[in-house]
Amino acid sequence: MWRVTPGQCLRHAEWDDEAVVFNDLSGDTHLLDGAALHILRTLQGGAAGEAALAAAFDDEAAAAGALGAILGQLEALALIERA
Amino acid sequence: MPTVSALGRDELGRRLAGAGVCLETGPFITRLRSPLAQLADTFGLLYADYPLCERGDYADFHITLRRAGGLRRWIKPQVNFDFDGSTPFQPLPLAQAFPMFEWVLNWCISMHAHRYLIIHAAVVEKDGHAAILAAPPGSGKSTLCAALVAAGWRLLSDELAMVRLDDGMLAPVPRPISLKNGSIDVIRRHVPRAVISTPVADTIKGTVAHLKAPAESVLRAAETARPAWLVFPRYEAGAPTRRSPVPRARAFMRMAENAFNYSVLGAAGFDALAAMVGRAEAFEFSYSVLDEAIAQFAALEPAPL
Repeated sequence: MWRVTPGQCLRHAEWDDEAVVFNDLSGDTHLLDGAALHILRTLQGGAAGEAALAAAFDDEAAAAGALGAILGQLEALALIERA
Repeated sequence: MPTVSALGRDELGRRLAGAGVCLETGPFITRLRSPLAQLADTFGLLYADYPLCERGDYADFHITLRRAGGLRRWIKPQVNFDFDGSTPFQPLPLAQAFPMFEWVLNWCISMHAHRYLIIHAAVVEKDGHAAILAAPPGSGKSTLCAALVAAGWRLLSDELAMVRLDDGMLAPVPRPISLKNGSIDVIRRHVPRAVISTPVADTIKGTVAHLKAPAESVLRAAETARPAWLVFPRYEAGAPTRRSPVPRARAFMRMAENAFNYSVLGAAGFDALAAMVGRAEAFEFSYSVLDEAIAQFAALEPAPL
């Protein structure tokens, strides 16, 4: 299970399948692609497992690898953590 | 309101050496004190058109530039900067007194004016629409800015894009344009009528000289402008004049990297920058021929609101 890092308030702006996300906890701003923003926003709605998150992808075969990379990216940015 | 030129050189020198001169540059009032004749000479040349503020002792910034004491009075003389009683900068050679004033005033604004998101960028305006030229040193930002201003664009600033947090409008802080190294002669050739200070060699930025801001830009310093174009200029010798679009999210990150106080402002800075990026068109602009660059800017159409 994954969840957004508790205590942070995220603001974002999205254009042309890319987004910038501001984390008030760290003061950092991140550039994310559309898929990463989608996963982040899904987790803002509540903690979720990888199977549920993979459902967001059209291509199941590609989903596992892509999802793992996105989760790793968001975790490295301290935006999400394992629940 | 009287201007600096109304004082005459002798009275200007006396005031600078005494109680100081209170100067309006856009939304800021600066009180400058200095007994240095070379500073008064260049200040009188480049700030002739600026209004003097006669509202008592109030000023946003109190700046004093004076000759360093001790042996430095005689051996390789230096100039010291005193800001509200502290000396946050290392002294510089005396010949750099005027560039130091410009750098110090930029520092004062960027460190203290947090009602604005402040981006290291030149800003020029035409018909109410502003172009923000953001780029690292050496990219040709000031050269392009100087050429556009000579072609009729209004100068808002050569160094500081001041984005008001409450409405996203750009506040002008029109001051002399800082030219460095080869760009000094480029602008001398391109704008033969330009008023440019005597170049100062061996500064931290190389040889620098300052170009006088047009009197009309100084006169219109209270007139804000709407950001229409976010431009990342780059001078490349021999390169064709070319515009390449920059996706908005990437333009946001580049503008944030060029901002002095984005981190200080937190969420308010994010919101102001996001609103600006959402409304403006962003592009990289490479050029080598100033006339072609000016023609491209003349053809810009602002995005509909």
